[in-house]
Formats: sequence, structure tokens, C-alpha cells
Amino acid sequence: MLGFVARRLGFAVASVAAVVLITFVLVHAAPGAPMLGSPERTLASPETIARQRALFGLDRPLPEQLLRYAANLARGQLGESFVLHRPVADVLAEALPNTLLLGGVALVASLLLGLVVGATQAARHRSRTDTALGVATLVLYSVPVFWLGLVLLLVFGERLHWLPVSGMTSAGIHDSLSAAGRALDVARHLVLPAASLALVQAAAFARFQRSALVDTLGAAHIRSARAKGLPERAVILRHALRGALAPTITLAGLSVPYFLSGSVLVESIFGWPGLGRVAYDAIFARDYNVITAVALVAGVLVALGNLLADVAVAVADPRVRLSG
Amino acid sequence: MRIGALLAAAALLAGCARGPSASAAGGTLVIATTGDADVLLPPVTSLETGINVSDLLFCRLAELKPGLNTVDDSGFRPVLARSWDHPDSLTIVFHLDPRARWQDGFPVTAADVAFTFRTYVDSAVNAPLAPFLAPIASVAARDSLTVAFRFRRWYPEQLYDATYHMRILPRHLLDTIPAARLATSAFARAPVGDGPYRFTSWRAGAEIAIAADTGWFLGRPGLDRLIWRVTPELPSAVSQLLAGEADAMEVIPSRGQLERVQQSRDVRLVPYPSPFYAGVVFNLRRAPFADRDVRRAIAMAVDRQTVVRSVFGPFADVAVGAVSPMQAVWSDSIRQLPFDTVAAARLLDGRGWRRAAGGLRARDGTPLRFTLLVPTSSQARQQAAVILQDELRRLGVDVRIQPVEFTVMERRTTTGDFDAAFVSRTTDPSPASLLQWWSPGAGANIGGYADPVFESLTAAALRARTRAEAAPRWRSALERLNDEAPAVFLFSPRNEAAVSTRVTGVTIRPDAWLATVAEWRVREPQRAASDRGAARP
Amino acid sequence: MSPWRLAARRFRRNRPAVRGAAVVLLLALGAVAAPLVTADPLAQPDPVRLQDRPPSLAHPLGTDPFSRDVLSRTLHGARVSLVVGVGAALLAVTLGAGVGLAAGLAGRRTDQLLMRGVDVAIALPRILLLLAVFAVWEDAPAAAVVGLIAATGWFQTSRIVRAAVLSLREADFVVAARAIGAPAAGIVRRHLLPHVAAPVIVSASLDVGNIILLEAGLSYLGLGVRPPTPTWGNMIMDGKDVLLSAPWVALAPGLALVATVVAFNLAADGLRDAFDPRTAA
Repeated sequence: MLGFVARRLGFAVASVAAVVLITFVLVHAAPGAPMLGSPERTLASPETIARQRALFGLDRPLPEQLLRYAANLARGQLGESFVLHRPVADVLAEALPNTLLLGGVALVASLLLGLVVGATQAARHRSRTDTALGVATLVLYSVPVFWLGLVLLLVFGERLHWLPVSGMTSAGIHDSLSAAGRALDVARHLVLPAASLALVQAAAFARFQRSALVDTLGAAHIRSARAKGLPERAVILRHALRGALAPTITLAGLSVPYFLSGSVLVESIFGWPGLGRVAYDAIFARDYNVITAVALVAGVLVALGNLLADVAVAVADPRVRLSG
Repeated sequence: MRIGALLAAAALLAGCARGPSASAAGGTLVIATTGDADVLLPPVTSLETGINVSDLLFCRLAELKPGLNTVDDSGFRPVLARSWDHPDSLTIVFHLDPRARWQDGFPVTAADVAFTFRTYVDSAVNAPLAPFLAPIASVAARDSLTVAFRFRRWYPEQLYDATYHMRILPRHLLDTIPAARLATSAFARAPVGDGPYRFTSWRAGAEIAIAADTGWFLGRPGLDRLIWRVTPELPSAVSQLLAGEADAMEVIPSRGQLERVQQSRDVRLVPYPSPFYAGVVFNLRRAPFADRDVRRAIAMAVDRQTVVRSVFGPFADVAVGAVSPMQAVWSDSIRQLPFDTVAAARLLDGRGWRRAAGGLRARDGTPLRFTLLVPTSSQARQQAAVILQDELRRLGVDVRIQPVEFTVMERRTTTGDFDAAFVSRTTDPSPASLLQWWSPGAGANIGGYADPVFESLTAAALRARTRAEAAPRWRSALERLNDEAPAVFLFSPRNEAAVSTRVTGVTIRPDAWLATVAEWRVREPQRAASDRGAARP
Repeated sequence: MSPWRLAARRFRRNRPAVRGAAVVLLLALGAVAAPLVTADPLAQPDPVRLQDRPPSLAHPLGTDPFSRDVLSRTLHGARVSLVVGVGAALLAVTLGAGVGLAAGLAGRRTDQLLMRGVDVAIALPRILLLLAVFAVWEDAPAAAVVGLIAATGWFQTSRIVRAAVLSLREADFVVAARAIGAPAAGIVRRHLLPHVAAPVIVSASLDVGNIILLEAGLSYLGLGVRPPTPTWGNMIMDGKDVLLSAPWVALAPGLALVATVVAFNLAADGLRDAFDPRTAA
């Protein structure tokens, strides 16, 4: 087992290295220079821009820049943001926890919701509830996450005013609230963006859980549990779900790319100050160091998710461990 | 209500000026902005929000009065400098106000001013405003409260250049930091200034808060706290405004959003002259734009009124030339090319561009066509470009619209790789900012316009001693530009700020919308939760 | 009865799947016919009076902030979505099948090398790479979008195909065929391909929906196929600024997206169930 994990870890590292390399080459070889000012009010003259490029070593040949970046990376330095004038590490350190919060809450919510819906469908297999829920999950699964976000924003934020429209905290009030008040403030702002992310993925999980549970529920040991006279709920909870645990972890691990890409879209709609927002701004401003660093972080997260998924599969199926 | 009496008693002054009595002051202003700040250090900061915040944390030697007269001494008001004199034609001596203090208690001294100048012009700092300080040869401290500016030559806007571009920095806090590291220093993200407000907190990507310095030497500012709330999506920012989660926005750029605000009873629009003008700039190095008559014909074939009304409705003015409504030399009686499609057609015919089959003009087999670059960041310019294309097609000119991302447009215009570009310019209060874009050799002169007549006209304008003398000379220069048509000057969007009705005493200085924020008040009965939540400064 | 006929019959009996397939066909028809049936999606006949008009007889789905007909743009947007969705899915499975076949048929070393490469590639954050490439590639043609989406999405298929090939390698009829000296290409064509075709087809059809959503996300951010060419994603981008005053601008492309993806997913589910009734539940 340990060998298996070690091998997978090796792949993860190689993947992350590949990600960084590809991203670095892509953004540096691209046309357009880092933006030094807002679109409608550039104070910078061409001389200033040229000097800026020289100061940041952007006029050196690409392989040299790459080597320098790799050397810095090995020392744990991620470089500086051209636009924000601060170490990239600081930018990420502030943004990453917000994205992890949003993504984490959305992931947990989608797992729970997906499990509940999938289990309900499996338990009421082929009934009207099953069909109705099936339609609902199919439709939700097919909705673009950014459109869902816009619709939720429109209905719950603008029209009904139930939830805040943007941001992570309420301006001016947040700092003077108690700790519980602050947590509640963030929670209120979290609802809409997390819901946008979670609903689509919950539908995906529900579809999977339904078919997985239907299979399990038909299995022998379940039939015997029913024969023993256990109530249906106990049958599901105790026996079927246990078998669904490993695949669920696998699914969760494999859903990391979805939550990352979703966060780019959702964070910009809801003004959530996270990694997705940082990536989006950096890409349009050609802030090379930030883009590469975000690719690094994203690569790590995806690799970890895949690792988790692989380990879960290996735990469930020993044959996988051997073929590794 | 005592509020009215107190407000009436308060003298309304601009910017870093004497404030009213303390009892009327208080409250929080939440500003909705779509962009975060970059840094809060005057020589380095380039993003809009960063400039707005640092403008309130750091002071200038003197401020422009609302009339924006950049030529006469009477157009300026003392701030850090209590007075100044001109001992000779190349020198200005400033006498600093001894009451001025940095927020850590140290006094503001002449050494700070000298240090500030050295920092701004240091190439390692790479300040975007450095080129504007080129006419200043040196800044020397004569004693702790006296500083002398020495200029390379005489010109009437010496005081403007000495005071407008630089905000004074604290030498004692910054001189140990190497120039190249200033932008990334801790100070740049948590500055100590000398202005009416002091920095409180900055949650990156979310919020910046500053609090009033109640003991400020020129009077306590009217509002206790200012908070900038970053909301990247414009409709969401406006929604916050309409929901009362924010109190003000610098400008509402889109017509759809303007109409939303107009319908609200809690938010009102406050118009102010805009510092922008937008137009289609021709690359004079490329045929057919080298030909003056072709340019004039194109300019005359565009019905600018229709373009402006269609795209903006009532929310923009037709541009009268290379000048913005904010600048004092703006006037709608400046001579412009008329809208005359017949004359335009005649001009083109005269230059050999005849209509071929299909309606397009051609000369010696070469069709009359060009590609117009339009930035995808501006919906207004994209819409205007389409109307332009249509009108020029009727003239027989084939225009291909190419929407490009802003950074790409920057690159192509600065390298001269374009036919025509739909650009927007932000002007300074000074009419001399004209030279940035239309003087030969100027980096931002993307079209390569070089005209000795224009040069002599602007040189004469720069020599004028008073505004009364300067204005007609600048006007001649602008009219020359209109005649030569190196660009079609199209529109100046009206700036409409949106402010909650609970904020009173609002005036807006066109070049810096928060310059007069010291006199803004929040009405007592309408104080909101955000006001009560103010952290004690 | 051949397995294909069997699968076809099972598909026909699956009513939702048939409906999904019907919608897909209808959409394809609409997309092809779009230039013939509707106005020019880029036309702005009256920029002044036609901005943000609600649905009417002349403009059944209203007009957008640029005074263009929403119905026409929605139909034209279908062309991009379908081309990119189906094209990228087909290309991706071709790439994946190619690599999977090569890995399954080749010697152990090559197999290991290829699969390690796939393992590394699977960890690439697809959206970030696509974002970075398309942010710098102004006005990428649809072909480029198809190519890049396919290039970043073939990995799962290669694993499926490789697994199928490996399981067949040791099957009796394959061993026998090789024993009599049948050429490898023939073996592939006659025995392997039909066996892997089913999972590949299912994989491809399941992918289409996701790819359509991916392309919509990219063009919503203003990347990939750029305005003024209509795509459902960039129509939603145009519409979000007027969401309150002119909701139809964003609603039409959004509903079109949902309907299209639902249809493809239904058909894909149907295909999967048709080929492997055990998964049908």
C-alpha cells in the first residue's frame, strides 16, 4: 500500500512540474505586456513600460527567465506581482483560504445533498419521486454554473433582498461585530456562491449515488438484511452507504477540477475575494508570476484530489494496488 | 433641526482645507468601486482606487481651487505650504505651514519635500508621473520650513507643475528603503501620511478603510470613516448602492445602470464635467491617412450628434476637439469641421478616390478601406464604432472593426501597428496635457502627428502669462487640430457620480471626485448601522 | 442479432433518450438552417431605437444592448456550441482511443511510458490552461477551441480503451488469430474495434454536454470565440449587465444551453444503457 501511495505521489509531483512549465511558457510567450494601470487611465508612457520590463527581467530570453524562475521556486520564492506590487505568496496566502472555504463548503454541501437525493431515489426506485428527482438532477447537472449564479443573484439578491449581492463581508460593520457575528456575516455572504457551485455538483453526485446504491441495494447481503426485518432506513444507512463510502471519496477527489474552474466563474460574479478572482484578474493583466503561481496551486490541489481518489479506489479494490 | 444651522455655518472649502465645527461631523461613507487598489504610495500607485485613497492620506503643497485655473497663482489654495513667492523667473520658494504633522507626530519639513522630488524622479522608482516633473531642475531645502524649486526655464504653469503632480512623502520613514523596493515595502500597504484621513485597514480584494484625523491642522474632516468596497461586477456594485449597502460611486459608466439609479429615490446622480474624450485616431504613417483631405473627409462624414445620442442618450457630449469638458479651455464655440457628407464626398473625389461598382471608393485599383481597433473593455466605443462604420460605408469607405483586448490595443498602438484606433484620453486640468498626445516625439503620440504650425501655436500658448492670455492661444491650437483632423474627436461621456440621499453637502471637483469630501456630511437621522459601527480612531 | 442492432433496439425503447436525440437533431437542423432562416446576427439596423427591446413580433426574443436580434444570435450560437461540443468530443476520443490502443497493443515499456504520461496529464488543471491560452489568443477560431479542448480531455478515454484492449489481448480468438499470422491491423479492425467502440461512443457522448458547458464558460469570460460572433456564453456576458432591465438577453442563451445539454445527456445516458443494460436502473 505504501509503495502505491509513493508511486502516486511521484506522479503528482511530476504533474505539478509539468503544469508550472507549460503555464510559464504559455504566458511568457504570449503577446501583450503586463498591465501597468487601469484601462482608461494609463499614466504609463512607453518609456515607463519599457523600464518596468527591464526592472522585472522581462526582456531576457525565455529560457533564462525559466531557469531563474525554477531556481527561485526551489528556494520557495514565488516572485512578485507586477500589478499589485507585492510578493505573490502574500496574494495567494490571502486568497487561497477564501477559495478553500467556498469550495470546501460547496463540496460538503454537494456531497450531503447528492447522497440524500441519490439515496432517496434508490430507495424509491422507479417510483414517481425517483423520476421527478431524476429530472431535477438531470436539469441541474446540465446548467452552466455561471448562469445559475446569475439567476440566484437576480432572484435572491436583487429581487428578494434576502441575501447579500456581493463580497465576503459587510462593509463598515464587519469589524465591529462579535466573533459569532462575524462568522454569521461571512456565512450569509457564502450562501449564494456556494449554492451555485454545490447545486450542479450535487446533481452529479446524486446521479452517481443513485445508480451505485441501486446496485448495492440489490446485492445479497442487503436482501438478507431486509429479510431479517430491518427497517428500510437502517438497511440503507448501515449497509448500503458503507459500500458507497469509497466511491464517494473518489468522486470528491475527482471533483476538485470542477470546483476550481467553477470558482473562477462564481467568484467573479459574487465578488468573492478568492483564488479564482485572482487568477482571472492576473490573466487579463498578464501578471505572469501570479498566473504561474496560481497554476502551481491549482495543479497541487488537483493532484491531491486525484491522489485521494486513487487511494480510495485502492482501498476498495486491492487489485488496483498491485497493478499500481 | 440643528443640522441645517450647523451646515450653514460651515464654510464650504475644498480638499485639504479648513473643515467645519466638529459637532456636525461624523458618519461613514461606503464607496462602491469595481477595482481594488494596487499600492497606497503616491509616486507608484497607478490604479484608480489606489489613487483615490492615497489622495486623502497624503497632501500636496497647494491645491487647485474648483475653477481649475492652472495658469494664475490665484487658482491655488495653500495646504502644506502656507505661502509661496517667486523671487525670480526660475524659482518658487514655498513656506511650509508649521502646524503640518505626519500621523506619527513628526512635523512635515522641507527635507520631506526635497526627498519627495528625488523619489519621484528616481528611475528605480519608475514613477509614471516623473516625465511631468522634467521642467524642475532641483528642489532644495533652505531651512526646515522653506524649500526652493528651481526650474529649467520660465513658463506660466510653474506653480502647477510644482504642486499638482507630487504628494509629499515622509522622509524619516522612507529614506532607509532602497528606491527599487519602495513599491513592495510594508509602508506602501499601510502608509503613514499627513492628510485629513489616516489609513486603518486593507483587506485585499475586499475593502479599504480610512479614518478621519480629528486633529488635522486645517480642520476636522466631515466624515469619520471612508470605506472602499471592491465589487468587480458593475451591476452588483450598483445593486449594493441601490440596496443601501454602499453610499457612493465615482462614476456610473453604463447607460443601463444609469437608468437604474435614476429610478431610485434613495440614490441621486451628481453630474460633473468629465476629464475624458474619446475619438478615432488615425495612423498618419499609413496611406491613406497621410493625406489630410482624406482625414477631413472622414471626419466630416460622421454625424457625431447621432453617434452620441444613440450610444449614450443624454449622458454624453459631443467632443469639441482634443479637450475635455473639465479643462478650462473647453468651449463649444471652438471651430470644428461641420457634418457635411456632400463636402466630404467632394473632397474624396478631388483626391482621386472614385466610387467603384458596389459603392466603395478606390484609386488606381486600391480600395479605400481601413481596420479600426476597438477595445473590448468599452461597450460604448464598440457601439459607436458600428454606427461609424455604417456612416462611412455610405461615404464609400470600407471600415473593418476589430475588437481587441485592451492590453493588445496598447501594444499595437504604441508600436504603430494599426490603421486607426478608437481611444479614450484622460486629461489633466492643464491644457498643456495636449502635448502628451499631439506633439511629435511624444511617446503617446500614437498616430505620428507632426505639424510645425501646431507646434508654434502651442509654444505661444505656453508662454502666456495669465489665463486670459493663454486661453485664446490654446483655442487656436485646438482649432488647428480640428482642421488637420489627425483624429475624429467623438465624445466626452458625462460623468455621473451616484450618491445616497443621506449624504449632503456633496460637490465634486472634476479631476478628483473626492477632493471635496471633507465637506460632505451624513444626515443625523439617517445615520446607518455602518456609521455606528465606526471603530474609534 | 448483432450487438449493434440489439443496442439500437434498446435505445429506441428508451423514451427519454429518444426525445433527447430528437432535440439534438432539431438543434442541429436549426443551427444549419440559421443563416437561411434568420437575420444576420451581427446586424444592427437601428442602434438607436432597437436597444434592449423586449420580445415582439419583429424580434421574437427581443434585442440585446447592441440592438441585435436575440433569436438570430441564439440560433447562430448553436452552431458554435454544436461544432465545439461534438467536434471536440470526437477529436478527444480519437486521440484517447489512439493512445489507448497503442498502449494496449504495445510492449510493456511503451505501455508504462504512455500510461505514466497519462497519469501526469490527468492532473493538469484544464480550465487554467485553457484560460491562459485563450486569454492571449485573441479571437481564436472555433477550430482552435475544438483542438485545445480535445487536447486537454482525452485521458479518460485512453484508459478505457487500454483496459478494453488488454482484456481482449488474451482472449482466445485473438490468440488464435495471431497464431495463424493475421496482421495486427486486421485484428484491430475486426475484433478489437467493435469491442471498444461501445465504451468509446458512450464516453464521447457523455463528454459532449460537459464540453458545451466548458466552451460556454470560456466565452462567458470573453475568451475563445470572441464577440461579435455570437456564442451562448458571450451572449450571457452581454446580458448580465442588463439582467434586471432586459432579462431575455441572458435568459435565451441560458435556456438554450440547458436544453441542449439536457438533450445530449439524455441521449448519452440512453446510449450507455443501450450498450450495457446492466447499468440501466
